[in-house]
Amino acid sequence: MPHLAVNDLRAKYGALEVLKGVSFSMEKGQVVALVGPSGSGKSTVLRTLVGLTPVSGGSVTIHGDEIRYSNAASVRRARDQMAIVFQQYNLFQNMRIIDNVTVAPTKIKKRPKAEARADAERLLAMVGLADKLNAFPDQLSGGQQQRVAIARALALHPEILLLDEVTSALDPELVNEVLDTIRRLATEGMTMILVSHEMAFVREVADKVIFMDSGAVVEEGLPEQLFDAPKTDRAREFFGKILRH
Amino acid sequence: MDYNFQYGVVWDNFGALMEGAWLTFQLGVFAFAGGVLIGLLGASIKTYGPWPLRFLVDCYVVFITNTPALIQIYFLYFGLPELGVRWSNETCVLIGLVLNAGAYLTMILRAGFLSVRKTELEAGQTLGFSLVQQIRYIVVPHIAKTVYPALANFFIVVLVMGTSIGALIGVDDLTGQAINLSSINYRWLEYFSVVAVIYVVLTFVASIGLALLGRWAFRVRARIF
Repeated sequence: MPHLAVNDLRAKYGALEVLKGVSFSMEKGQVVALVGPSGSGKSTVLRTLVGLTPVSGGSVTIHGDEIRYSNAASVRRARDQMAIVFQQYNLFQNMRIIDNVTVAPTKIKKRPKAEARADAERLLAMVGLADKLNAFPDQLSGGQQQRVAIARALALHPEILLLDEVTSALDPELVNEVLDTIRRLATEGMTMILVSHEMAFVREVADKVIFMDSGAVVEEGLPEQLFDAPKTDRAREFFGKILRH
Repeated sequence: MDYNFQYGVVWDNFGALMEGAWLTFQLGVFAFAGGVLIGLLGASIKTYGPWPLRFLVDCYVVFITNTPALIQIYFLYFGLPELGVRWSNETCVLIGLVLNAGAYLTMILRAGFLSVRKTELEAGQTLGFSLVQQIRYIVVPHIAKTVYPALANFFIVVLVMGTSIGALIGVDDLTGQAINLSSINYRWLEYFSVVAVIYVVLTFVASIGLALLGRWAFRVRARIF
């Protein structure tokens, strides 16, 4: 049984159908990359998975359990299992770094404060920010904020980590520190779905690449396969354009 | 100029002036606190409420902010008795100032409501926050921080300009006491120069207190001058 199975997933913004039946599945410990042109629905897939964008059709199952997005309890369970990191970090500006990471475990999950704090300190050390516990988000660089956002997501011990263009808003020189963190998570066996335009990085860490266009999956396969020998014309055109330089 | 300043009478009655200053401070604090409650209600309705209620709040804000506070207080003091409602002059000033501040604070706080980042709320949602938890941990701290400088400024406006209106209907606040005392011996210049200094000290102390509170509670770097 696949860890996560997405079947004919559909979503609309008003009358506009942004996901026109997306299907894919992944195993535990895999890293799946969603790539494709802007507006192809990659980010929307992640947003629908965590219940931020309403689902208008299809199904999502984790370990064979279907998530019912019309049911609040079911969505809560889905959010327990999947954590998302956003392009713009979206840290809580009014909280210190340590509080950004501990607020959900202590206030939502009701875990003991000391335990949550120790866990948060470990995670922040892992992303290289052990010395920034008491800083506020606006005192950090974009790359540092994004690493805090990753630590915040991991503090809930999700089964699957969703990364939505996490390096797109960063200065070029800050991209690598975030990619290093993700690379490390991948080697530790974290199950991840990442939406990214960093093709070299995708090629390196992804076990499977899914190429999307206009709200649908056009082609999927191993990175080498898709990048070097795409089967469809649309994929050939896309990878031809972006990999040429 | 051959005016002879004689501050002796002022010092003899300094205690009465300080009583007036204390009343001024109390009126300012209570008027502001009441105004914040009305402002929070008004701003919530303006942001989240249905249109008939939003329209009522708009009427209230437009009416209050476009008429002088003095006239609003005169209506309470001279108008209400015609309807059989008699409030003391202090009550009239306090209620008038609360209604007046409430309208301005509705607008100030509304700006804060609008400044909450949707993306932070989404992050909270995906971390499992309920609506109440989002308001408690994200919305309220954000509003507090954003509008704090404007609130602190407005408190000074209420404290100085608002409360002194009371003197015109016989409230013995700082200005009222100065009018009472100087009409006994016509030492207007002496009394009012001292009163001006007391007002400055009052607002200075309030400003520093508010700046420290803001820095401590909301990380706001408020300027005192």
